[in-house]
Amino acid sequence: MKRILVIDDAATVRLYHREILEQAGFAVTEAVNGLEALEKLETGPPFDLYLVDINMPKLDGYGFLRALRKKDIPQAPAIMISTESSPSDRADALMAGANLYIIKPIKPDQLLPLVRGLLGEERQP
Amino acid sequence: MALKKGQPTPPSHSPGERQDARNLETLLQTLLDEDPSKRRWAARDLAEHPAATGALVSRLRRETDATVLQVIVTALGCLANDEAIRGLIDCLYSENAMLRNTAIEVLKELPDPVAPHMGELLHDADPDVRIFAVNVLESLRHPQVEAWLVEVILKDEHINVCATAVDLLGEVGGPQSRDALAALKQRFPEEPYIQFAADLALKRIGVE
Repeated sequence: MKRILVIDDAATVRLYHREILEQAGFAVTEAVNGLEALEKLETGPPFDLYLVDINMPKLDGYGFLRALRKKDIPQAPAIMISTESSPSDRADALMAGANLYIIKPIKPDQLLPLVRGLLGEERQP
Repeated sequence: MALKKGQPTPPSHSPGERQDARNLETLLQTLLDEDPSKRRWAARDLAEHPAATGALVSRLRRETDATVLQVIVTALGCLANDEAIRGLIDCLYSENAMLRNTAIEVLKELPDPVAPHMGELLHDADPDVRIFAVNVLESLRHPQVEAWLVEVILKDEHINVCATAVDLLGEVGGPQSRDALAALKQRFPEEPYIQFAADLALKRIGVE
């Protein structure tokens, strides 16, 4: 089962994404900010995908991704998800190491194809 | 015991101790120093000088070192006069996510000085600023918090502002928020996240 780390300081958002992803057959771990996410990397098996908020206390999504990409661990794709939609935010996200940048709130039928696509699990039509 | 000739002279200050004079004038000059560590020390000590508020706010807009920025924001939070609060609120408009988040964390701790500005912030033209304002409410121990959140979910037309507010309302709201949560669901019937978050909030406040 593919493992996804959901990183967001809003408990409701984490729960929403958890329900969508678990119903689709993924194993979900949560972190409340970038710092806790980095700790999760040290304490368990590697993740297959990261779903990362931008604005979080202690360590934001950009900081998490920059730290993640410097780590000597198997690298996995990351989706940065935010309420912000300016071109500079998108560019900053990709520069920090995100593979995709999407705007909240996202519907299940929008999120799952992106997750499956990044995991190489696209379903045939 | 007298010191013997040839012994090293004890340092007149411990490591990390500041050697320069720390009066307001010197600190304001040091705040402009090329060395970030000196600017950081100056910013820290200026937290005790209300007369330095303008200089700190001004430096906040030009400072490039992340650690100095953090200390200036903290110093403004200690000063907490109206000029300092306005300087912190300006950070909500910054492109620098670290600066915004630090300012939000400081503003959360200042309920009384922040309260007079909250109405204006929650009606800002920029939805991102309105979202940051709701983020400030998260830990703002002020009796108006629930009323502000209810107004947001009843009137704000931006889905992400409402989504941020409904998350928080689930934590701090009471039965008086029920009608507003129901109305929010009706305003965004096609948005699964709003339906999910409003249902969760209703469940948490025990009125579902």
